[in-house]
Amino acid sequence: MGKKKTISRVEGASKEKKNVKAKPVKQKADKKKTTPPAPVADEMEVDKVADDEWEDEDDGADADADASTVPPRSANKKDKKQKKTKTSKQQTPVPPAAEADEQDDDDSGSDDDEDNEMIGYDNHGIDLAGIDDSDSDSELEKEDKDGQDNGNDSEDEIDVDDLSISGSEDGENMRALTRIRETINNKDALLASLKRIALDVTPGVVPFAVHQSVVAPTTTQSTMGDAAVDDDLARELAFMNQAMGAARTARALLRKEGVPFTRPVDYFAETLRSDATMELVKAKMVEEATAKKASAEARKLRDLKKFGKQVQVAKQQERAKEKREVLSKIDQLKKKRKEGASAALGANETEDMFDVAVDNELGDSSKGNKRSAGGDSGGRPNKRVKKDTKFGYGGKKRHAKSGDATSSGDLSTFSAKRMKSTSGGRPGGAGGKPGGGGGHKAPRLGKSRRKAAGRK
Amino acid sequence: MAAVYKTLSKPSEKDADGDKNGSGTPGAKRNKQKVLILSSRGVTYRHRHLLNDLAAMLPHSRKDVKFDSKSKLYQLNELAELYNCNNVMFFEARKGKDLYIWFSKVPNGPTVKFHAQNLHTMEELHFTGNCLKGSRPVLSFDLAFEQEPHLKVIKELFLHMFGVPQGARKSKPFIDHVMGFSVVDGKIWIRNYEVREVEKTKGEGEDENEADKARKTKAGSEKETDVSLVEIGPRFVLTPIVIQEGAFGGPIIYENKRFVSPNQVRSDLRRSKARRHNARAEQQRDHLAKRGNLGLLPSGAAKTVDALDTRAVFA
Repeated sequence: MGKKKTISRVEGASKEKKNVKAKPVKQKADKKKTTPPAPVADEMEVDKVADDEWEDEDDGADADADASTVPPRSANKKDKKQKKTKTSKQQTPVPPAAEADEQDDDDSGSDDDEDNEMIGYDNHGIDLAGIDDSDSDSELEKEDKDGQDNGNDSEDEIDVDDLSISGSEDGENMRALTRIRETINNKDALLASLKRIALDVTPGVVPFAVHQSVVAPTTTQSTMGDAAVDDDLARELAFMNQAMGAARTARALLRKEGVPFTRPVDYFAETLRSDATMELVKAKMVEEATAKKASAEARKLRDLKKFGKQVQVAKQQERAKEKREVLSKIDQLKKKRKEGASAALGANETEDMFDVAVDNELGDSSKGNKRSAGGDSGGRPNKRVKKDTKFGYGGKKRHAKSGDATSSGDLSTFSAKRMKSTSGGRPGGAGGKPGGGGGHKAPRLGKSRRKAAGRK
Repeated sequence: MAAVYKTLSKPSEKDADGDKNGSGTPGAKRNKQKVLILSSRGVTYRHRHLLNDLAAMLPHSRKDVKFDSKSKLYQLNELAELYNCNNVMFFEARKGKDLYIWFSKVPNGPTVKFHAQNLHTMEELHFTGNCLKGSRPVLSFDLAFEQEPHLKVIKELFLHMFGVPQGARKSKPFIDHVMGFSVVDGKIWIRNYEVREVEKTKGEGEDENEADKARKTKAGSEKETDVSLVEIGPRFVLTPIVIQEGAFGGPIIYENKRFVSPNQVRSDLRRSKARRHNARAEQQRDHLAKRGNLGLLPSGAAKTVDALDTRAVFA
């Protein structure tokens, strides 16, 4: 590679040289025509001129710079430059290649011809100037093609420096990007070398097991269709499908030939990837799966939290509403019961005892029930009941708590057992109440409870 | 030289050509390949791991130490001969980042230089596939490999290097992986898959019939299975750059004009960035010059007032 590189560098230099020379040819055609084919010294002079022109263009300052007005100072500079380039040239390895020799042989062309050709080369030379030396292999072939190529060695040496000058320019490099490289595709040689190395893979003759190669029926590019190369999924799918087709074909062919294909489960051998690696892979997969699961759970929880707040508030409101309704119903009922109790005691006694009315009210608050509940109190109209409660009815209310014949005759609270005084009734109790001749007696209950007990 | 002597002295081998596809028995040609795998100095760990992966996949390969020179590649020919190899896979690293892979048939076969991109070694890919070490792969080629002469040559080289020859020393008797070579976008994409046997999905009536038939025959259980692929790795993409006629030398018979050197790409990037800066710097300079001309800079000279100046006229 290195060898080639040096060659191509020399080529680039020679091209550049031509380019440089072509400019003065154009501008001072008369002078050039009259000069005889140049000895080396003369060539040098022309080169100086060319260099100056080149530099003037670079500066862009002195528009009227001419070869005739070149100051001697700059000429000296040129000489120095030439020396410098010569030394630098000597440092670069001289290519021993056959191509270089060939090139020397071709140098016999006359200089006039050379000049005319060089005009044609003008653009070409500039393009080549910017080429990165690492990938300028193509010039080799081009060199072979144009046989009348004729840079001589002294010229090559001189203009290495110019090459570097022009190569450093932005414009040159810009053009270098858009250059068209001459490509090599020597199909005959390719096929010849293929034929030299090719294995015999004729389907009928050679068993498939020898080579195990399958060529897909379609190109992957066409399988991918419109999908871009950057589309990872489509691309990998296309690759996999191609391999899948090959695997199926190969399996069928190998089975036919009786070659074992599938590895039996009890065949253990070293694998391509070690068990440790596979463990790592497995661990990674497990980790990924758990992470996925955990994140899904966390998300679910987050969502629930967001939504759960609303649910909670709604539930609380509903509960409060329910409670309010129940309480109001109970209030109503209490009112009603009060009325009922005052109006008709006897009729409603059983109902009151078991809170049937409350149940009725809470269970179904339909109108009919209410109606019937109102009608229960003695069959009297509602208005009468209200008036009765307001103004009183049914005799005097004085001496309601005083005892009378019935109360004194009521023996329901009397217990014969209690009346019998037994010392062993209650050990603590007996000793505690020495004066109690009738034995232990329960403390007196409150009025309402006594009443309740009395009803029994 | 010894190899040449051996091939010449063998009486049965009349049809032996340069690449030593020597015939073991007269009549039947035997595919005999050995690959020398080595790298240049200055490879990164990824390049090295890729090389190790490939060496592990190819039981007919011989891994050698790093080769010291990048310019005298023809020395590889002697090295290969020393190891009795007729193929060389040479990893050339440039600038500690670019990898070029050379595939060469050694005595006098063609040489292909590739630029390797998108390298992913087996280890870093974390695929679940696995296969026997040294089992022979099925090589799956794109149809495009049959359409262009240079791709034909490349295919042949792949066949020699990646295809494990039958009866290779350390090869295993079963086939459990497929190597895929596809041409997309002018590049060759290389993949490696494990072949797994799975139960055949019975969706179509045709399959059902086939399965029934299979059940009738003796080998029914085998035919019911289908294959599925699981990727193993490594993955990489090769861009062909150049094909030479000889082994690490000789005339160039193919050159890829679509190949752009990574150096070029990087320099273009740098240049486009520099251009932006240059434009800004220029603008700044122009701005200063303009202000200087108007006499607005403290250091600059005051603007000369001529007779037609606004200040002079309306003074």
